[in-house]
Amino acid sequence: MSSRWTRLTAAMDRLYEFDREPVTPDKLQSGGKFAGLFAGEHVAATEFVIGAFFVLHGVGARDLLLGLLVGNFLAVLSWTFICAPIAVRTRLTLYWYLRRIAGPGVTLVYNIANAFLYCILAGAMISVSATAVGILFGIPVPGLDAVLPTSLGWVLITVALGAAFTTMAVLGFSKLSRFAEVASPWIFVVFIAGAVAMLPRLGVSPDLGNLWDVARARVWNGIAAAGQEKFGFWHVLFFAWSCNLAMHVGLSDMALFRYARKWTYGLFSAFGMYPGHMLAWISSGIMVAAIGREMHPGLMAYEAAGVAGIVGVLLAGWTTANPTLYRAGLALQTITPNWPRWKITLIAGGATTVLACFPVFFLKLLDYVAIYGLILMPVGAIVFAEHWVFPLLKIEQYRAEKRGWTFNMIALAVWLGTLAICFAMPLHLYFRWLPGWFIAMISYTALMAWRRVR
Amino acid sequence: MSNRLFRRIAGGLAFVSLGLCLAAPVVFFLGRISEGTYKRAFLLSSIAWFVLATARTMAVRDGPSGG
Repeated sequence: MSSRWTRLTAAMDRLYEFDREPVTPDKLQSGGKFAGLFAGEHVAATEFVIGAFFVLHGVGARDLLLGLLVGNFLAVLSWTFICAPIAVRTRLTLYWYLRRIAGPGVTLVYNIANAFLYCILAGAMISVSATAVGILFGIPVPGLDAVLPTSLGWVLITVALGAAFTTMAVLGFSKLSRFAEVASPWIFVVFIAGAVAMLPRLGVSPDLGNLWDVARARVWNGIAAAGQEKFGFWHVLFFAWSCNLAMHVGLSDMALFRYARKWTYGLFSAFGMYPGHMLAWISSGIMVAAIGREMHPGLMAYEAAGVAGIVGVLLAGWTTANPTLYRAGLALQTITPNWPRWKITLIAGGATTVLACFPVFFLKLLDYVAIYGLILMPVGAIVFAEHWVFPLLKIEQYRAEKRGWTFNMIALAVWLGTLAICFAMPLHLYFRWLPGWFIAMISYTALMAWRRVR
Repeated sequence: MSNRLFRRIAGGLAFVSLGLCLAAPVVFFLGRISEGTYKRAFLLSSIAWFVLATARTMAVRDGPSGG
């Protein structure tokens, strides 16, 4: 068993070997690069769904605007004060830093969990693209309460898209990434253009005199759709804050910020949050209201921007599913030593395609995004404690590395224990991560201090 | 035409196309053009963006040399 773990972790280390060493000063990037990266990354297919769901959840216009303003601001602060400082001090990816703290075994478990979560996310993106292609063939989109595939047509279209996305990811990830750089500004324009074009249908006058009244009465009117939970200011705030929880508080974006000259580059995340997670969400809310509150991203974009709108949804799904599939493949490759990249990407793509057939993943996208962040959040809290709190309390750092532990059992127990507590908390799903982060951070510190004393 | 000049022209025209993509719905919202005209204009400007922006990206990749 032990030799099996050793083999697995050695194979995993080889995969990530290229970024094992801390980033050297000559490789540091300018702030403009970070602004561009964030701006491109946070306008995805899922934005069509998230903004529309706020309308269906009966969020009021004022609650939406304030919730998005404050929630996205808190997300920017989380990148700036939690993620970026650790990345800039260590110049390491989370993978290598977690390995020092929790041992290669826990890092392997983290990687596998991440791979499955990535597959589900990519599956949701394929489903969103399927709603656009489905219009061309008259295939109905599953209803809001659908869990299983609702028609053969839906299955065929998601399988066809999944196969196409996977094949292209296998054939040329890097070329697709370059294409995504070209597509992302245009996809953002599709959101804005679609919203502006839908305003006359909602009754907004050309002088914009009644814009606020229409927004309150016909878009974010505070009435939840049948079967949907009513959301308010706090739901929007916490969702906007935690939408990328795994990246900022969960520290995944250490991979990015290790190239930053200063920790203040975390502020550049605002270039992703405010256009992508504010304007794009507002735009998709306007579009869904204009088509009669039907959760159908393809129809929303088609009605708003015609054929270009359909292409927009398709490209938004494709360009964001592609890196997600790549990351899932990279993470999964750790348990399949010696397999070539194409084979593991094919398997990740196959699993993703099967998941995409189940509409529940895109119809419950808000909950899924919250669960995704929640699952990975304790790892961020553990790293935060080891990095900042241990030196303050004079607790020895990096004991897993120094003593050659495969598993830092305390880290694993804190991770799983925190999740168990979070899932039992009598709080709304979106709010649980915050107390959970403090529970993980304090309990890890206390248990490691106790172990030292013992 | 030098590579650098080509990049500049392609980049400039690409941004004009993106601007037209944004302008089309605004003009439609103001009631100056019909919905069909707006959607056609948006589609054509989008095609222009992809052609020009891709050309610019490829020119950047090919490097600074050129004739």
